[in-house]
Amino acid sequence: MKPWVVRAAGLAVVVVVAYGCGGGGGLLTLDRIGKEDAPNTMTLQLNNSYTHQSSTPSWADGFERLFTQFAEDHPDWKLELKIVPDEQATQAQARLLEQARAGRAPDCANVDSFVIAQFIDQDALQPLDQYFDQEEIDGFFPFVKDVVVGDDGKLYAYWWATDLRLLYRRTDLVPEAPRTWDELIQAAKEAEQKDPKVDGYLFNGGRWEGTVFDNLAHFWSQGGELVDEQGKPIFNEGQNREYMLNTMEFLKEAVDSGASPKRVATISDYSEFESAAQAQTVAMFQGGDFQYPTLEETLPPEEFKKYEVSPIPAMREGQEATGTGGWTMGAFSDDPEKVEMCAEFTKDVFVGEGNEVTGQLPTNPELFDTLDKFQDPIYDTFREGLKAGEARPGVPVYPEISNQLQIAIGTVLTGEATPEEALDNAAEASMAAYEQQSN
Amino acid sequence: MTPATKRGFSPRALIGENRPTLWIAPLLTVVTLFYLYPAFEVLRYSITNASLLEPNYEYTLDTFTQVLSDPVLYKVLRTTAIFVVASIVLQLLLGLVIALAVNRATRRRLPGMVFMRSLVLSAWVMPGVVIGVVWAIVLNDADYGLANLLLGAVGLGSVPWLSTPSTALMSVVIANVWRGTAFSMILLYAGLQSVPEELYEAAEVDGARTLQSFWYITLPQLRPILMINIILITISTLNTFDMILPLTGGGPGQATEVLALRTYNVIFQNYSLAGGSVLAVVMLGIAMALTLIYQRLLRSGGSL
Repeated sequence: MKPWVVRAAGLAVVVVVAYGCGGGGGLLTLDRIGKEDAPNTMTLQLNNSYTHQSSTPSWADGFERLFTQFAEDHPDWKLELKIVPDEQATQAQARLLEQARAGRAPDCANVDSFVIAQFIDQDALQPLDQYFDQEEIDGFFPFVKDVVVGDDGKLYAYWWATDLRLLYRRTDLVPEAPRTWDELIQAAKEAEQKDPKVDGYLFNGGRWEGTVFDNLAHFWSQGGELVDEQGKPIFNEGQNREYMLNTMEFLKEAVDSGASPKRVATISDYSEFESAAQAQTVAMFQGGDFQYPTLEETLPPEEFKKYEVSPIPAMREGQEATGTGGWTMGAFSDDPEKVEMCAEFTKDVFVGEGNEVTGQLPTNPELFDTLDKFQDPIYDTFREGLKAGEARPGVPVYPEISNQLQIAIGTVLTGEATPEEALDNAAEASMAAYEQQSN
Repeated sequence: MTPATKRGFSPRALIGENRPTLWIAPLLTVVTLFYLYPAFEVLRYSITNASLLEPNYEYTLDTFTQVLSDPVLYKVLRTTAIFVVASIVLQLLLGLVIALAVNRATRRRLPGMVFMRSLVLSAWVMPGVVIGVVWAIVLNDADYGLANLLLGAVGLGSVPWLSTPSTALMSVVIANVWRGTAFSMILLYAGLQSVPEELYEAAEVDGARTLQSFWYITLPQLRPILMINIILITISTLNTFDMILPLTGGGPGQATEVLALRTYNVIFQNYSLAGGSVLAVVMLGIAMALTLIYQRLLRSGGSL
């Protein structure tokens, strides 16, 4: 072949690749939704997972379809995309808050549900009420409404995807779902006797947010509160201290009794539970609903059939709580047209459609009935579980409370401190952070 | 006019031919913009009560007092000291052993030395986060963790690599040494290459044994490189947090929370820009003090 033919072919490949990677004038590029020459522009910040560049192929395909459809339906608009890598999604929230304060936030953005209250406090978000039916807002799960509806009754963000924590168990080792902590520890020990290879009960106990978030269910189910109305840490005061001590003593008892291995103090990733399930070395673990599809895909069918999920056991029967998280869409622009477009985008891409694409749970119980994705009976369990959902308090001091409770749980699990010492240290440091932030 | 005659000051003299100003200007600009200015900002924030949550702040020394009187700081400093000293000693020793082996092999023209050097260097070029994730998999406490799997295969029991405070710190040191040894080795290898062959030949003629050659020729010749190595290892280890974050997150409890990681936590968990800046200033102070001590040792010709 002649050299110029090779060069021309190479050039053609480069042009095609560059076009496909965002240099083109189509409806969807790497950093734009809509036509390049559309007269109206809105800046949009999304987590990588919730875009056509998601690392999960089915999500990428789904969002590509939804974004393209949105662009076709709104030919006068182009949305300039700023995509946040998933691993930076949490840190990006601190930056977003700073940008919002300086008036430099994107017009519309993914906002983590647990920082919404901070954005509302800073008057950074625009109300979205007029773009959604009141019936739809009233239909949210209670924990959702508590977060996204401000004190003035206005909707400040649309929380579209949520999750919850549950107890996964192998029914061949633990036939009946334990309902209390005592039953859980007993069941774990019996399972270990039946199969010496397995760890009875695994949970997040490492130095990360999941440790606090997951185990707060034990505190919340007793009626505990982390902060008061002003956002001041009160988890070491009055009844709350007793509830928190009960929680820590339960976790310590789980390890000391052998129901849980010492290595729970290092678990800082939900995938640890999946690995243990694949290795058939766990009888029960506290995981998220989002692990159910993964287990279904990765375990052999006969192994997966052994698994059932149930509410997280509490100190006493009848108490129930579970931690819930998830993502919202919020509008930051002062321009009413952009706020409306942000609401349109949320409705067209995320509410319902986005849940179908990602499998992440809807925040409105009615959607469980109407969306195809959620017709499996397991989703009835998830929907019921969400009724006992609790969101983390969206106050500025929460990240430090979480950090201190992670340290406290770690030192209790490793025996470095008693629950009382660990709790006192955590409370003292959290109060210091609160006072510093309040000054 | 003789060359020794003094001339009056002229702006042209600053930018004339053979004057360094123009050559230094780009470097000065980069250093000022990207090093001095951020360092100045850190110093400035350290004497404020600045927070990521509030745009307004006041100048105060209270943040310094609060941070320095926090007993947790001293626990973190102790952890940092163990982490840094263990890393320096092990990285120097292992780096020296590998450098000597590679140097000997190169002199004997053994094949595969370029490959060997590339292999060792690959650990150094890996991002810290990746190294943390890889070691978290290797040192997983479960029986299916890679290290425990190997120990099990040879009949030894599992080790709680990350779940007890002392072994967790040891594991973090192992991961850091694995990363840093390559850099140490390259510096020492370069140093070994510059030792004149004649010195060894003379020693051989005088009947010196291998160990004596090493002690009286190699080590003294390597002394400047060893000092530079120690300074660089100290600074890079003091700044390490990217690798620890995915490996242990600073836990269990605070067992592996070093100064750099605490600085990150204070800024991003506590939103305290001022508190984080104070810790950064403490780190800067420690690094500068150690560097000055090392330099004095180097100049005074003191023994290692």
